[in-house]
Amino acid sequence: MSKYTRFLAAAAAGALALSLAACSSGTTPPPTSDTATAPLLTLGQFVEPASFDPATAQEGNAFPYYQAVYDALIKRAPDGSLEPFLATEWTYNDDLTELTLTLRDDVTFTDGTAFDADAAVANIEHFRTAGGPQTNQASAIESVSAPDKTTLVISLTEPDPALEYSLASSLGLMGSPDALGSEDIASTPVGSGPYTLDNAIVGSEYTFVRNDDYWGDALPYDSVKFLLLTDETARINALRSGQINAGIFTVPTSVAELEASNFEVLSQTLDWTGFVYFDRDGVLNPALADPRVREAITISIDKEGLLESVGQGRGELSNQIFPSTALSYNAELDSDSRFDYDPERARELLAEAGYAEGFTLNMPIGPVFPPALYTTVEQNLADVGITMTRTEFGPGQLIPALLGGKHEITYMTLAMFNDWTTIRQYVDADAAWNPFGTTDPALSALIDQFQVAASDDERTEIGQQINKYLVDNSWFGVFSQSLAAYATDGSVDVELQVQQAVPSIYNYTPAN
Amino acid sequence: MLSFFAKRIALALSQMLAISVIAFSLLYLSADGIARAILGEQATEAQVAAKTVELGLDRPLHVRYFEWLTSALTGDLGRSYFTPQDVIDALLTRLPVTLSLLIATTIVAAIIAFGLGIAAAVYRGWLDRVVQVLSVLGYAIPGFLVALFLVVVFAINLKLLPATGFIPLTTDPAGWLRTMILPIAALSLGAIAATAQQVRGAMIDVLRADYVRTLRSRGLSEREIIFKHVLRNASSTGVTVLGLQFVGLLGGAIVVEQIFALPGLGTVAIQYTSRGDIPVVMGLVLLTALIVATVNLLVDLAVGLLNPKARIS
Repeated sequence: MSKYTRFLAAAAAGALALSLAACSSGTTPPPTSDTATAPLLTLGQFVEPASFDPATAQEGNAFPYYQAVYDALIKRAPDGSLEPFLATEWTYNDDLTELTLTLRDDVTFTDGTAFDADAAVANIEHFRTAGGPQTNQASAIESVSAPDKTTLVISLTEPDPALEYSLASSLGLMGSPDALGSEDIASTPVGSGPYTLDNAIVGSEYTFVRNDDYWGDALPYDSVKFLLLTDETARINALRSGQINAGIFTVPTSVAELEASNFEVLSQTLDWTGFVYFDRDGVLNPALADPRVREAITISIDKEGLLESVGQGRGELSNQIFPSTALSYNAELDSDSRFDYDPERARELLAEAGYAEGFTLNMPIGPVFPPALYTTVEQNLADVGITMTRTEFGPGQLIPALLGGKHEITYMTLAMFNDWTTIRQYVDADAAWNPFGTTDPALSALIDQFQVAASDDERTEIGQQINKYLVDNSWFGVFSQSLAAYATDGSVDVELQVQQAVPSIYNYTPAN
Repeated sequence: MLSFFAKRIALALSQMLAISVIAFSLLYLSADGIARAILGEQATEAQVAAKTVELGLDRPLHVRYFEWLTSALTGDLGRSYFTPQDVIDALLTRLPVTLSLLIATTIVAAIIAFGLGIAAAVYRGWLDRVVQVLSVLGYAIPGFLVALFLVVVFAINLKLLPATGFIPLTTDPAGWLRTMILPIAALSLGAIAATAQQVRGAMIDVLRADYVRTLRSRGLSEREIIFKHVLRNASSTGVTVLGLQFVGLLGGAIVVEQIFALPGLGTVAIQYTSRGDIPVVMGLVLLTALIVATVNLLVDLAVGLLNPKARIS
């Protein structure tokens, strides 16, 4: 060999030897099964918290980051029921405009400040002005007060059926009042939660370690690490190579791959998919003012085909925007064959409404959905005489344009919530997803009744009427409700959290 | 030599200025609803309007550009819209990751490519043909495919190397090497292929030259001829191609960083661009232009040192 090639071979051998020698197993150590605690839980995520200020906490995927360091006033159990947390009990007054909570007196924040009603007041008032993404959770709050150290009174301008849910969500997160005002809180959380933030590499990983002074029941893991893996393939590889114990997977094709590799995949219904008919008053497109036209559009789409091709079959056909856990949900609406795929009947409806010649429909196109989807929709619409024109949007631009009231319709996958939040987000006159503010006296009356209903039975009755109204009048063109996937490597037992994209941090235990 | 570089530096600076104007205009002219994207779906129109004014987005484009330019010249590129970081921080914390990847890849690619190119040119025959075939393959196979293949084999099946993650060189050199082996292997393939071909071609040309025949007839050993005379004249092409490849690697690094979850500039490019975090994107565009300009300068320097004829232009 020439001197040159000999050197090259030696260098290569050296590098390989070094890497193998230095190589540890690189996998997350499986927790021991015969102790109550385990050293480390590693979770894969694709979002990170924009700021650790509790007033800016996002629900859904990012929420566990906040749960690790902050406690909320109320806790949502995995099945969605409400449990005491920093508040031990709570009651409404007779006209539902005042909620009085009794707070724990034995909780201290990690900076030594005591948690009391004054701290709670400071948190809620900070929340109202901080401009975080969940600010609307406080929209009905008129004032908060602390008559004594363990009593918190929230006064509302009008009843808010979702208030208790909000107090178990971002609104109810409690940070140390001393830390709330400072800039540091964005990167250094100060709460009373089961963990403290040990190390954060923005864009890469967050490590939390056990808070030894935690007031509540200790969680099984001494340490929890979140790895930020925005690419779905990277996340799958991390699970398969043992770098994470569990993670969320949003691409429908991932599930087949994970199941083939013998990972446990847990699923729950999380979102609904279909059309939002923004322009129900016919401002931009007069055709959409007629509910028969909207119904025709809905039944002209081969929703089963879309679910199979784009959704990989991960979901159920549906006609309603309420999840099965909501009071307004009615299983019969889903089996109503009136909304089955039927291009013939669609043509009849359009003719009845005076659009036998068809009309033009402008569809906003975003990069989140595969182009094949829009091509299929375009084809289905053309089959009933509707010409689809397109408006293209780049990343991050579609939703602001939609919420700005510039479009008559959109195809979208949207989160499902409890009854009142669904109404406030999608249905009522000032809902974000109702930019044209379309409303109807019958519907508004039902919404008002729901708001002041005193019992779940009443709410169920009224909610189902609201649901029926939305379906009968084709306010939305719902195709399906889709399943979200969460996979674990078998070393972890986890309970899914109802209507939350990822399990709460309290829901993990080492497997036996 | 000095005026050579003074002119090059002035050119690079004016290039960066032009790039900043074009990027700023393109980014902000097509951006509607920045305030809405920051505040989220639940914000009211009033809040969105207030945020728009707060960010200064209601003022004319050229006014905002000059403001941006003047603070950029003092080293302040603004703050990210979506995270509580300064743009400079967001980029500089990630720059070392990408730079270590790119530099290591370039060094590996240079060694292997020059080795293969020289061997192919000197020995010819079957070795030459093998190198040429490998070059075509290396050029044709997409980098991400190689990356995924390497991950499946070495990380998932053999569990020898980690599938994702990055350990800084300064924290733990052995750990850095472990997390970098697969990304470098994936990224270097295309660069090796292109550079090896160039080196081989240039070497063959020079080896045919008259003065080489003269050197041989004077009795110099083949090794001395190759390494003391031919290589120096042939490598300016190779070095130029390597420089071009480095710039191409910047793009390839985006894909590799995504697949291996390396917290570098590539992931910034994807994450912050899809969110519409324009200040960070502007910073990224400028930083990339700076890197490219620097690489071009270094290549010019190297070629100038290797080949005195180039210094005249």
